[in-house]
Amino acid sequence: MFGGMNEYFKIALRNLKTRSLRSWLTIFGIIIGIFLIISLLSLGEGVNKAISEQIQALGGDMIMVMPGGDNLMTSMMMGGDELEKEDIRAIERADGVDVTISMSYRGVIIRYEGESKFAPLAGMSFEEEVLDIFKRFQGWSLSEGEWPRVGRREILIGQQVSDEMFEEKIKIGSQIIIKGKKLTVVGALNSLGSKTDDGQIYLDINDYYSLTGEKKGSAKMVMVKIEDGASLEGTAESIREDLGKVRKRKVGTDGGDFSVITAEKIGEITGSIVGVIQFAIILFAGISILVGGIGITNTMFTSVRDRTREIGIMKAIGAKNSAILKIFLIESGTIGLIGGLGGTALGLFLAKIVEYYGQVYPVFYISASFNPFLIIFGISFSFFVGCISGFFPALKAAKLKPAESLRRFE
Amino acid sequence: MIKKELVLSLKNVKKIYQLGKVELVALKEINLDIYQGDFVTIMGPSGSGKSTLLNLVGCLDFPTEGKIFLKGKDISLMSESQLSQFRGKTIGFVFQEFNLLPQLDALENVALPMVFQEIPIEERKKKAKELLNSVDLKERIAHQPAELSGGERQRVAIARAFANNPEIIIADEPTGNLDSTTGLKVMDILTNFHKKEGKTIIVVTHDPHIAEYSEIIVNIKDGQIVTNHKESPKVLWDK
Repeated sequence: MFGGMNEYFKIALRNLKTRSLRSWLTIFGIIIGIFLIISLLSLGEGVNKAISEQIQALGGDMIMVMPGGDNLMTSMMMGGDELEKEDIRAIERADGVDVTISMSYRGVIIRYEGESKFAPLAGMSFEEEVLDIFKRFQGWSLSEGEWPRVGRREILIGQQVSDEMFEEKIKIGSQIIIKGKKLTVVGALNSLGSKTDDGQIYLDINDYYSLTGEKKGSAKMVMVKIEDGASLEGTAESIREDLGKVRKRKVGTDGGDFSVITAEKIGEITGSIVGVIQFAIILFAGISILVGGIGITNTMFTSVRDRTREIGIMKAIGAKNSAILKIFLIESGTIGLIGGLGGTALGLFLAKIVEYYGQVYPVFYISASFNPFLIIFGISFSFFVGCISGFFPALKAAKLKPAESLRRFE
Repeated sequence: MIKKELVLSLKNVKKIYQLGKVELVALKEINLDIYQGDFVTIMGPSGSGKSTLLNLVGCLDFPTEGKIFLKGKDISLMSESQLSQFRGKTIGFVFQEFNLLPQLDALENVALPMVFQEIPIEERKKKAKELLNSVDLKERIAHQPAELSGGERQRVAIARAFANNPEIIIADEPTGNLDSTTGLKVMDILTNFHKKEGKTIIVVTHDPHIAEYSEIIVNIKDGQIVTNHKESPKVLWDK
């Protein structure tokens, strides 16, 4: 069955080499398709992973209240609206609420040892009760230093900020400059498993207000710990009701411009968003692969036409239809395979670059997932596309009549 | 006298080409028997049907009517692949345009018919080298067709035609693209094979000088055999 495969490979590969420009252009079409699939899927998987880490970090018994209604994702990204003092008080009073933690955040430039980097700054209370909740529900622990104290302009840094952000590791006790103010780093956290959390700088909320000029008592997010034994959904509902009343009275709207979300709810929202994104990725990459495949079919049909006489000669000297079919399938499969190898390498390279930039600017942290299955899939899928796209031209070549093929182009 | 084996037989063969709505009768009622060891020349003017006859004699095409028997086997009863393999084993081709595969070197070109017969690699390499040696191309085995002269290419093609030790060699204008000296050389090689190994040679040509080498001349005109002589070949063409 495999008799002569050596020669078939030789004929097919040398033919690709002879028509190298045409071959490379076709291969390039496949490279683009596979490159898109690999880079987008590996980054998509990274986004998925980052989101699940975030959700995990929220803790199951916590509720988050954020300004902005229907367009939750936009308000999370843009951080436009804020919750006012009155709103926060309403949340505190709602049934089932044990502790509320107001948090605000924004991106700032931080300077350390003459180096400047962009990083997210989070303002939060450093009271013991709050830190206890973070230790208990979010797994906070110090790798070195001590917990910051209230009102001392002391800051706590995530593991990534401490170890990787600057050329030199940030020393405990050293000072960093934010908006021209010197702040003392007193503690560094152990990794929380989420790159976004590990890339944060935490400052006491009052120091945060004075540093950023944001309205005192306001918050971009309020985290709620529920009372022992209280129901998560029940508490969330009661917050919705109470806060709704306050907002309605104050703003005069229907009160829907805020969101009360649980970890579960976030999972649902992000899950559906990621789902849509992944569907779009697969759709576009699929179209691109289809175009690449049509390119192979076109090249192979042209090749059959150009080599009609050669096919006639091979048949005259004893080649069976199956031998001709094999030669042409090897050729188209090779185009697919080389395209797959190139596209996979390029896709992984791009994903790695995006990941690298994510590490330099942790606000956009995104990890590229180098799943070996994805690599094997990329290469074997493109080989398969090559074979499928080349099948009909190969079949046409195999079915050519020797007399006609020899007569053609005479 | 030893009775020769009938290797190729055409019985009432007709070939019609359908060109749109028009039917073109290329061959009419052809009857031709070729025996083992015959040296046959098929001659005729352009458009006489000799290429069509060559395709049928070479089992490269099927007749519209009539039967072709190759070594006693009716080719119309074979599948395309069966016929390909049988043809590869029984018939060797030498073409006017040499028709070597440009991607392969001389040795690989000569070995190719053996690839299709699934002969083991070592055996086919050895045989291909021997054949190239016999046509004085020992030094050129690693050269690709583009690096060979016309005469060398035709010699490679002849070596290839003998690769599977076929009983019949069909040569279509084998000297058509060569100068007269090289052409003579090529014809000498073919004649040698014919004499030494008793191969059946069928040459299609319009060159009466080539016909001088043969014992039988089949003259074809308007799709019909007009003469089929075994004697005095020179006389036939002039008539």
